Amino acid sequence: MEQTPKLAVVLLSSELEKLHAGALMGSVASMSGMTVYMFVSMDALEQFRKDVITEKRFKTGVVGPMLLEKEVPLFYDLIRQGIELGNLHLYACALAMDVMDWKKEELIDEVEGIIGVNQFFGLAEGAQIMTI
Amino acid sequence: MSQVAVDKTIDARGTYCPGPLMELIKTLKTAPLQSVIEVWSSDSGSSTDIPVWVKKAGHEFVYSIEEKGYWRIAVRKAR
Repeated sequence: MEQTPKLAVVLLSSELEKLHAGALMGSVASMSGMTVYMFVSMDALEQFRKDVITEKRFKTGVVGPMLLEKEVPLFYDLIRQGIELGNLHLYACALAMDVMDWKKEELIDEVEGIIGVNQFFGLAEGAQIMTI
Repeated sequence: MSQVAVDKTIDARGTYCPGPLMELIKTLKTAPLQSVIEVWSSDSGSSTDIPVWVKKAGHEFVYSIEEKGYWRIAVRKAR
């Protein structure tokens, strides 16, 4: 059986614009038939905390404020759509979770699991990898 | 002009890329085979992006017509 093309997106930045770009590409790829693995680590991970999203503690540059003002569906909405309508899997980095002493329940429910680099490499084998 | 009978119209005007495409994909999932879906988009990026997706996804691109301030893009579900 032919394998579907795979895309791996590594999100590292806390900037709303970068999270949005990564989530947008990941969700469109997922809805276009690709298998997508998103791996969130370092400063990006804090933006996936429920409290940060509820309180809208986003870090914006030039485009971000307009995304918010025009009420464009944000990165977590795009990722949810990618999961619901395609084959997208969202993971949080184990190192960042441990260092920050965060719990999985503190992250949005779309996070499927907490994984280390080796597990990520296993999933991403043969995939195109984008780091944002 | 086109004589294609549209089975369902989605008004996605006011949403930004990839909003219109997402709405189209959602509708295509449950639409009967060979039905024609027309999506309205005020987002210019989607007017060029949707036809590319349609071909890649194996559906049939029917037309893209520019109206005042928006596009009507029609797709036939082919699989």
